[in-house]
Amino acid sequence: MRTLKTSEAAALLNVSPNTLRAWERRFGYPKPQRSAGRHRLYTHGEVAALRDALQQGLSISSAISRAREALSTDTHTLVGALGGFELDRADSAMESALALRSVERAVEEVLLPSLAELGQRYGTDSAPWAFAARWADGWLRRAQRVAPPPVRGLAILVGDATRNELDPDALAVRAFELFCGRSGARIMALPVGGVSGLSDVVESVSPDAVVIAGAHLPDDDVALWAYRVRAAAGPLPVALFRRSQHGAKVRTTGTRMLPDPPFAAHRQLLAMIDDRQVTRVLEVAAVSVLDADDERREAQG
Amino acid sequence: MRRLRALRPVEVDERGLDVVSFCGHCALPPAPVGSAAPSRVCGHCGLGLVLQASADLAPRRDEPFLVIDTTLSVCAVSAAAEDLLGIDETHAVNKHVADFLVPADANAPSAENLLALLVEVASGSGEPRSTVVRPRQEFGVRFKARIGPCGPPHAALLILS
Repeated sequence: MRTLKTSEAAALLNVSPNTLRAWERRFGYPKPQRSAGRHRLYTHGEVAALRDALQQGLSISSAISRAREALSTDTHTLVGALGGFELDRADSAMESALALRSVERAVEEVLLPSLAELGQRYGTDSAPWAFAARWADGWLRRAQRVAPPPVRGLAILVGDATRNELDPDALAVRAFELFCGRSGARIMALPVGGVSGLSDVVESVSPDAVVIAGAHLPDDDVALWAYRVRAAAGPLPVALFRRSQHGAKVRTTGTRMLPDPPFAAHRQLLAMIDDRQVTRVLEVAAVSVLDADDERREAQG
Repeated sequence: MRRLRALRPVEVDERGLDVVSFCGHCALPPAPVGSAAPSRVCGHCGLGLVLQASADLAPRRDEPFLVIDTTLSVCAVSAAAEDLLGIDETHAVNKHVADFLVPADANAPSAENLLALLVEVASGSGEPRSTVVRPRQEFGVRFKARIGPCGPPHAALLILS
């Protein structure tokens, strides 16, 4: 996927960088990603679609609406392909979505909305849904396999409380795992239903955070699993993803509730872990200062 | 030499009147450009596209106006019209014009007249006309409206005064 810096995107649209930022605030489009240095990166496809629409438009709003429509054709194509049981065409639709967007946006803007539309159209207990959900699950797992190796030194343990890959939440959980993996974290996903031998796995992973994802399994099963994890790994930050139905009970335990969209959830989780690490470093620094003070006093005494 | 530099091509419409450019959001004329290729985006506010209309129709600064296409969808709402009608351009775009403005009963016997006029003008064939409209769901408030062609592409310009 080709990306453009603010100045390049502004030059392509023949506007100033300030105008581009003003459009982002007012219209939410074009929507840039951020580089490692927090600079805006625009996808070439979005900017090119807007440039074409501006030539034909009567206002910025109508041009943006037309550009958005042009980009949403990928969703229509994917829905059509999966609705027609055409796997090759579904793969091609995702390929063309990736030509215009990052993996994260292709998943959030094309794959997940397409599956949601199919789920609404046929019902999540239907054969067309099963066909589409299996394809999407396979696509997300493939993307996870080809993600860059973990570089952040973070490990996240995901307790999967979904029913199976046909559970509507399961795709969001796979997407969440994919985004965390692509952000450089090591992901270990285990079913919440299995607790036998859990401590060995947890000790080998030594996770920095635990996420319980999915709403299918009852609170009792989740509580038992979380207890075993905590017994093996000690106190860890625990977050819930796509488990809003069980929120009332969980809120009392101080567990963090992640937002439903997988991208926002993964950003929040990583920020939560980073905050905790900073706090831990500060605590260690404070203890070191106190120790040094004690040693100095002893030496003087 | 000074006089030569001041020479510039002047566009005229079918009636021989000057065609002037204005921003579809702030109504200001486009800023003069140097050697760079002119942009369709307004250099003053950055929130509107530069449109053209005949000099007798084009909105003056702070005059509220809407731009409507042949399908009677709202395509642009000026900043002054946003304030006057209490609508936001981002929400109004692609909605039917009758969601916001209807003919004032005493002056137009049916809604079709206003809509037919807008379609005729938006297709580029009509001349500027005047009518009276009121905001939908509001009574006792009426605006004089000038309606005429603008573009590109072809559309109807509805200026409230």
